[in-house]
Amino acid sequence: MKLSVRTAVAVTALAVVTACAPQTSDNSSSEKDDKTGTLRVWLFQEVSNAPKEKVVDAAVASFEKTHDGADVQIEYIPVETRAQRIKAAFNDPKSAPDVIEYGNTDTAGYVKDGGLADVTEEFADWSEAKDNDPTAKQSVTVDGKIYGAPYFVGVRALYYRTDIFDELGLEVPKTQAGLISTAKEIRAAKPDLYGLAVGGAYTYGAMPFIWSNGGEIANGTGGSYASAIDSAAAQKGIEAYTSLFGDDNCPAAKCAGMGGNDTVTAFASGKAAMAIGGDFSHAAIEAGSVKGKYAVVPLPGVKSGEIAPAFAGGNNIGVLKSTSHRTLAVDLVEELASKKTQGELFDAMGFLPTYTDVRADVAEKEPFVKPFVQTLAAGAKFVPASPAWAQIDSSLVLPTMFQEIVSGKKDVAAASKDAAAKMDDAFSSVG
Amino acid sequence: MSLMGGFVRRPWRLAAEVSALLIAAVVAFPLYWMVLNAFKPAGEIESTEPRPWTSEPSLDSFRRVFGQQEFGRYFVNSIVVVCSVVLASALIAFLAATAVTRFRFRFRTTLLIMFLVAQMVPVEALTIPLFFQMRDLGQLNTLGSLILPHIAFSLPFAIWMLRGFVKAVPEALEEAAYIDGASRARFLWQILFPLVLPGLAATSVFSFISAWNDFLFAKSFIISDTSQSTLPMALLVFYKPDEPDWGGVMAASTVMTIPVLIFFVLVQRRLVSGLGGAVKD
Amino acid sequence: MTTHDALTGRGTATEAPPAGPRRRGPGWTPWLYLAPALVLLGGLLVYPIYQLGLMSLLEYTQAQVSGGEPTTFQGLGNYTMLFTDEQFWQVLLATVVFAAACVVSTLAVGCALAVLLTRVRAVPRLALMLAALGAWATPAVTGSTVWLMLFDPDFGPVNRVLGTGDHSWTYGRFSAFALVLLEVVWCSFPFVMVTVYAGIRAVPSEVLEAASLDGASQWRIWRSVLAPMLRPILVVVTIQSVIWDFKLFTQIYVMTNGGGIAGQNLVLNVYAYQKAFASSQYSLGSAIGVVMLVILMAVTLVYLRLLRRQGEEL
Repeated sequence: MKLSVRTAVAVTALAVVTACAPQTSDNSSSEKDDKTGTLRVWLFQEVSNAPKEKVVDAAVASFEKTHDGADVQIEYIPVETRAQRIKAAFNDPKSAPDVIEYGNTDTAGYVKDGGLADVTEEFADWSEAKDNDPTAKQSVTVDGKIYGAPYFVGVRALYYRTDIFDELGLEVPKTQAGLISTAKEIRAAKPDLYGLAVGGAYTYGAMPFIWSNGGEIANGTGGSYASAIDSAAAQKGIEAYTSLFGDDNCPAAKCAGMGGNDTVTAFASGKAAMAIGGDFSHAAIEAGSVKGKYAVVPLPGVKSGEIAPAFAGGNNIGVLKSTSHRTLAVDLVEELASKKTQGELFDAMGFLPTYTDVRADVAEKEPFVKPFVQTLAAGAKFVPASPAWAQIDSSLVLPTMFQEIVSGKKDVAAASKDAAAKMDDAFSSVG
Repeated sequence: MSLMGGFVRRPWRLAAEVSALLIAAVVAFPLYWMVLNAFKPAGEIESTEPRPWTSEPSLDSFRRVFGQQEFGRYFVNSIVVVCSVVLASALIAFLAATAVTRFRFRFRTTLLIMFLVAQMVPVEALTIPLFFQMRDLGQLNTLGSLILPHIAFSLPFAIWMLRGFVKAVPEALEEAAYIDGASRARFLWQILFPLVLPGLAATSVFSFISAWNDFLFAKSFIISDTSQSTLPMALLVFYKPDEPDWGGVMAASTVMTIPVLIFFVLVQRRLVSGLGGAVKD
Repeated sequence: MTTHDALTGRGTATEAPPAGPRRRGPGWTPWLYLAPALVLLGGLLVYPIYQLGLMSLLEYTQAQVSGGEPTTFQGLGNYTMLFTDEQFWQVLLATVVFAAACVVSTLAVGCALAVLLTRVRAVPRLALMLAALGAWATPAVTGSTVWLMLFDPDFGPVNRVLGTGDHSWTYGRFSAFALVLLEVVWCSFPFVMVTVYAGIRAVPSEVLEAASLDGASQWRIWRSVLAPMLRPILVVVTIQSVIWDFKLFTQIYVMTNGGGIAGQNLVLNVYAYQKAFASSQYSLGSAIGVVMLVILMAVTLVYLRLLRRQGEEL
């Protein structure tokens, strides 16, 4: 009996060693370019999505009128599972859509994955493209080639409750230190509220603290990056951010696991006196119980009068390399990301347009946009434009770092060192 | 009919019975809680004084659940997958178990060991290679991509469990059948199969549960045609880690648990005797 | 010679037919019967395992998979990366300890309740059986969410009853593991209870009668009389539990939201999934899968040894 066990193991071992590469999918540009047929589009589903759907439907209607024989099908996918679905689409070109909306932090990663089509040539003819602001243009460019059209930008600023500030006689904080002490003051006076809602998994809310202290996520250019998250300056920022977790502001047990949306929800439902929210959170907060009782200012920097550099978030729309309707897809992208549609999208959802002129118009129309435009003007920053970023983001390097500090597992120095090591591993693995 | 009825003293037995009833209540509580909250209106669920009963049962949560896009479709999909898996796996395992138990041939022992080893495989790790295989077979985004792997994964355990039942059928019976002129096939289906039925009921419970429960494969193989998705995916729509719609989650959970309970009730008599048969001397 | 054969039913006296002129040889028939099973298992189990092993030897991330970059042979590079990562060892330790705790708890509860079942009359026995079957029937996803709700900081009855305000049971590492353990024991003990109960019922009552008349206590009866007689069943049940609890995925994934704060509640299976799907390092995830496979195979070998020692003839 022992013999047959050995043979079984040996046979299996032999099979493993035999060479034969596992499957890869072939994402090479398809030769086909049908001028008619069905175009499939994946867009992100937002909280209260109905207004977005209306705007998109209008753009699609106008596209179908000018393109006979083309039929557009839109699917709205939840943001949380987008990464897996888009990767699955890269893996199986047959079931993939033709056009996708994607976050601008994913651009470099998706290009390396070979999923997005290079549309530099087509966009060279597109007149509106040149009016995009430089950061937006940068977010669709990798190695000098363009892989999509910017759809909207989003920045974050400080939302605060005017009624609570009035009640407690507080001034709007003008420095980072002031922000922290104000938050703790509020919590002391009103123990059932968070002073400033913060999340351990809210990377983009934490970054301004690091940037305003002079720290960086990583340094480098195009080719290679090296992590700088453990530098003295960065550590100061991390300390500042993590000092907001605790029973004196936002208890770790509740707040360590929160992400951006959770902090915004807490503010909108009246559980927090302040929150770091985006221009895109406007609709959700208006729909909450704090309507009419809040205002927005740019997030203060370290020194009085400074604005903490915000993260220049945003989404782009791109064409998949595997599409068999390339010309149609490019035209559809131009329609969906056009100045007209972006203007309408702003009216409907509050998403900031990426064109400088459209944005200026919008700022005039709607006062709530002012602090966000100010923040953008003060200089918004981006994540390292390396293909490794997608991996760093999805393996939660920074949230893990914050959570380790907040839960007392590691101190700031140790946690940031480990995070830097993980990031360097990722950067070097993409070469 | 108590085993030790005659010689267990009364106070002990009373204590034992009370404990049994209490424990039964504790074990059943989570299920009761699930059904209760499925029927509670949202206000009561989120109140600061949750009560173990409700004065105004409402169907709101169920409406939300069924109103969700294509929930009914997901339910049907799950049923289809599970029925196919249970039937196919029962048949195939029965044939295989018969083969390794009632015949002697080379590699018999090797095969048995490999079936045993196969049970140890952490199937979640195989999702990626399986994804590509399903793609090559053209089965991606179809229920087939869920049915095939589940049949395969339930076979090793089923074959091992059925061995005992097949072995339990006496040789004499087989001999008698052949003497009477029955063909092999006739013996197999008309004599052996019915005798092994209790064992099949027992193993079908396991394959039912594992197929019904699966959400990883559904998440990974069904991407662009969501009308082919299954129930566990529907459940997770209502469950967002920080602010779950508890009413919806409990309603969806209740809907998801009912078929399993029904199946259990249908086979439970066979099940207990089946498991008993597997360990009887 | 008949041996007490837990898994295979009858004693070995009634093994396969003797070869002789009256009997037809097996011929192709067994292979015919085995064909569907072998085809399915070969294609959907053996082949993917082989692919898994292969992928663990390559650099295989999303870029390779979607054709953006060529696949390169890494040899044991992935394994080196894995074994020098401190987190891997932490997760491995956590998995082993957690699985052990689950197995011990499940067995203790299951066996104790099995004995209890033999002590009571029909009605309480039926009640307990039904409750247990209900727990067993509950799908893992469902059970996880229900237990999460029971312990929910804001809306759960546990905090109400214990008066612990809005304490979060999923925040601390051990308390999160404890919560998952409760759910796992809840849905796994029925299997043990039913199986062991069936085994006890098969024990001749004279033996138990004699022991009781001799004045042995319950615990003594269990230890010296029942346990040895139930050994084959206990072995089966233990090994099955070890395998299932080591491979645990759904409950941890759902109840700790993918592995807990800073990944403190990761077990191997979830860890592999996060590596493969979340960070798209399919090759690393495959390497972890291979490690799990090896560990579980070692457990299988132990099981086979134990079976053989009982005289079990395969």
